[in-house]
Amino acid sequence: MPDLLNTSLTGMLAFQRALDLTGHNIANANTPGYSRQVAEFTARIGGGSGSTYVGGGTQISTIKRMYDALLVEQLRISATGQARFSALNSLAGRVDSLLADADTGLNTGLQNFFNTMQDVANDPAEIPTRQALLGEADSIAGRFRSLDQRLDQLENEVNERLTLAVDDINRIASQIADVNDKIAVAGVGARPNDLLDRRDALVLELSGLVSVSTTIQDDGALNVFIGSGQSLVLGTNVQRFGVRASEFDPTRVSVVYEGASGSTPLDTALSGGTLGGLLEFRSRVLDPSRQSLGQTAVAFVNQFNAQHSAGMDLRGNLGGDFFAIDPPRVLYSSNNAGSGTATAAVGDLGAFTGADYVLEFDGASYSLTRADNGQSIPLTGSGTAADPFLADGMSIEVGGAPAAGDRVMIRTGHNAAGTIESLISDPRSIALAAPTRAQSSFANIGDATISQAMVVDAEDPALLTPAVIEFTSATTYSINGAGSFAYVDGDPIVVNGSSVTINGVPAVGDQFTIEANYGASGDNSNALLLNNVQSNGVLDGGAISIGESYGQLVASVGGTAHQIQSGLAAQNVVYANAEEAVLSKSAVNLDEEAANLIRFQQAYQAAAQVVSVTKTLFDSLLAATSR
Amino acid sequence: MRISTQGAYLNGLQAMQRLQEALDYTQRQISSGRRILNPSDDPIGSSRAIELREAISRLDQFDRNATIVNNRLSQEESALNSINNVMQRVRELALQANNATQSNESRGLIAIEMREHLENLVQLANQQDGNGSYLFAGNLEGTQPVARMGSSFTYNGDQGQRFIQIGEGRQVSDSDPGSSVFFQIRNGNGTFTALADPGNTGTGLIGAGSLVDPTVYDQDQYTVQFIDPNNYEVLDSLGGTVATASYQSGDTVAFRGIEFSLSGDPAAGDQFIVAPSRFQDIFSTIDNLATAVERTVIDDVSRVEMNNAINASLYDIDQALGNILDIRTQVGARLAATENQIDSNGAFKLTMQATLADIQDLDYAEAISRLSLESTTLEAAQQSFIRTQQLSLFNYF
Repeated sequence: MPDLLNTSLTGMLAFQRALDLTGHNIANANTPGYSRQVAEFTARIGGGSGSTYVGGGTQISTIKRMYDALLVEQLRISATGQARFSALNSLAGRVDSLLADADTGLNTGLQNFFNTMQDVANDPAEIPTRQALLGEADSIAGRFRSLDQRLDQLENEVNERLTLAVDDINRIASQIADVNDKIAVAGVGARPNDLLDRRDALVLELSGLVSVSTTIQDDGALNVFIGSGQSLVLGTNVQRFGVRASEFDPTRVSVVYEGASGSTPLDTALSGGTLGGLLEFRSRVLDPSRQSLGQTAVAFVNQFNAQHSAGMDLRGNLGGDFFAIDPPRVLYSSNNAGSGTATAAVGDLGAFTGADYVLEFDGASYSLTRADNGQSIPLTGSGTAADPFLADGMSIEVGGAPAAGDRVMIRTGHNAAGTIESLISDPRSIALAAPTRAQSSFANIGDATISQAMVVDAEDPALLTPAVIEFTSATTYSINGAGSFAYVDGDPIVVNGSSVTINGVPAVGDQFTIEANYGASGDNSNALLLNNVQSNGVLDGGAISIGESYGQLVASVGGTAHQIQSGLAAQNVVYANAEEAVLSKSAVNLDEEAANLIRFQQAYQAAAQVVSVTKTLFDSLLAATSR
Repeated sequence: MRISTQGAYLNGLQAMQRLQEALDYTQRQISSGRRILNPSDDPIGSSRAIELREAISRLDQFDRNATIVNNRLSQEESALNSINNVMQRVRELALQANNATQSNESRGLIAIEMREHLENLVQLANQQDGNGSYLFAGNLEGTQPVARMGSSFTYNGDQGQRFIQIGEGRQVSDSDPGSSVFFQIRNGNGTFTALADPGNTGTGLIGAGSLVDPTVYDQDQYTVQFIDPNNYEVLDSLGGTVATASYQSGDTVAFRGIEFSLSGDPAAGDQFIVAPSRFQDIFSTIDNLATAVERTVIDDVSRVEMNNAINASLYDIDQALGNILDIRTQVGARLAATENQIDSNGAFKLTMQATLADIQDLDYAEAISRLSLESTTLEAAQQSFIRTQQLSLFNYF
């Protein structure tokens, strides 16, 4: 009889616990990361023996956490991927719209500039049209600058977000260590389900910031590793990560591992999550975009300046530089021990890339590598002013006393676009005319004709000195009365930096003059050549024009953004599926809990009824014996 | 599969969010009329669209350029037409003056009219366009091209010719320098001149010369010298004898691939000079003509002298007229080329606009049916969400 009471008591206690648990589950129906808990009943061992064995009621052997480590691991991995693509997508999308938008991009500006150039070529003497060209020149320079500024702002934003992400990582790492401590205190045998949920939620949050890997220690503590195996949390110890100014550029943030032996840069080792997405955006979208924009800017300015210098303005002066642009920027490593210096200039546009390079001194000689892919670039020359190093369209001069291992970074295009300025403010100083003209004498008897003069060397000191080509026979000519040169119909004749061709049969004494093109306000020869700057193949060995170069940038960023967008869409689905799988396994179903409520309530009531039956039995016994 | 309450809620929510996104995208497409909203929607299409817009803008510019070329060439054409008319009138006057019925006085009047035409011609050569630029000064468009000092005319422009771009890789000249219109004109017949020596005492009248055989023609100065009225010899510039022949009035003198007719009665010692053609400007040609017309005729010798001089000027005028015709032909060809280019630019632009529309413009029919499908789906999702969320066992407690 007491056994029956005990047995029913175990039932009541167990069902009360189960009802409590159901209440707990219902209360946490909306708690993120909560794994529902299920009570597992087992029968208690009872008394008696042999064929009269009767069990001793029930007990809750364990409170099981409905949890699947594999599903949670998948959720973490997909959260890492999703956060990575999400960070990439928001930033790359902004670069994409910035570059391709008609209002902010370069195309419209370039097109307007060259259209005005054509207007000027139509009426080279008109001051108002020339003035309009200066306005367009200012505006195209402004376009280049503002594009670069916007990209620079994005770079700053990446710096800030990296700092925030690293702070978050450190904060979460401390919290994980904290939970590890509590779990260890609870003991190996204990099942602190809610602490485990809490820790899983933290690891999931961490996975959204950076790709992590985890191991469980014997005492139940979780070790977390990031990057290429750097430990973030070991039991209750936290290893801190930090941000530092990067080796070459103090304005650029680099993520470092603050190990015992100093800080190690981790920029290339970290992947996944918001942090990985930010770093990937910087190296995959932002840097190449700025470099490519810089390449376009340098090609535009150098080409335009060269052609403008080979023209003559309304005052009869040779045109100088039209735009200004900074030379490649040289950044010295913060680790340099020596006092070496370097300067770089852009030379051959056909080989010019706009990329970043690292020049390293090994104690005896210099070597050059591309910063983005580590490709080694052969150097020719000796690095002196007279014989500079030549590589990838750059010329580099070195000086000072570098120490072995000293490094400098040469950024050829990175912020070049931000330094463009229009130099000309006087519309008369635009050099639209050719500097020289070729004239045939009216006294000529032969039927030879001379072409317009083309400048082949604008820097020839005698460019503007008049020269007379006089035929000494039908097949020979002299220049300024000297020499005797063979005349070949249609072959170019180069005199004082100008090239002309003479066609036809000259007579003895026929004269052709090449002279400075003073006063030729109607001449638009140089304007037509300046116009060709838009479509001349100049980059990439002469295959790509500046317009095409910018088009390639837009297409490449658009392609990357598109790829990221599809990646994000896919990751969203993967993440949703993983989340659904985890929720399906672990999350609370209120209907299920309602059914459980009913089930446990009924069971409790039944157990209570057993107590009542016991009482009745006992009462009958008492009644039977009290007489 | 087990459904968790949270999972069911999230599922419903995410489905609605996705539908709302799609609906918003379609709505923005419809309100902008663009198929591509962000370049990343269609990177290839949007970079192609950029290229097309650029090309269309260039074509618009070429059209503007071509219109300018057209205006300038029409202006030049009309100037050349006036010049041609003046020259034709002068030529008629020369023929009139050459007529034996004219008296010294009437020829004097003709000469006066000729000189007026000369003035007019100088003005035509020095005419300016609406911007004050000289039409025939080459590239020195701020410099008056033709200057007169008595009876000598100088060209102060240059020989440059301006080109204007009217299509991809297509440039057309919008002008001709005064040097080629007025100054660089070969005199005589374009190859040589045949003139009577001013000191001739006979009445030898020299006719038009022609180049018969260019292969044996040797560019040199030749003198046809009469030994006696019936015999002449031809000497080259070094005094070497090229040919000797007997003469009868109306004979053709021929040597070294050239020939010209000679009539009348030259006296012994009379000379006719054959020299290579040189450049002679239109103005000097008319001035020479007027001077010839002004000659006083007193006898046959002086009449033949005048006739020879007028004839020589007539050949020069014909050269000048031929030159102007050549240039007018070129101008006409350039005008036609410009028109053609405008047409082909227009056709090209139309194709490109169509391609651009294909790439970036929205197919409204498709978009609107998509919009209604999407909004129906969203409505259904919302309704089913409300329904399923209402289902709970707790409702029956």
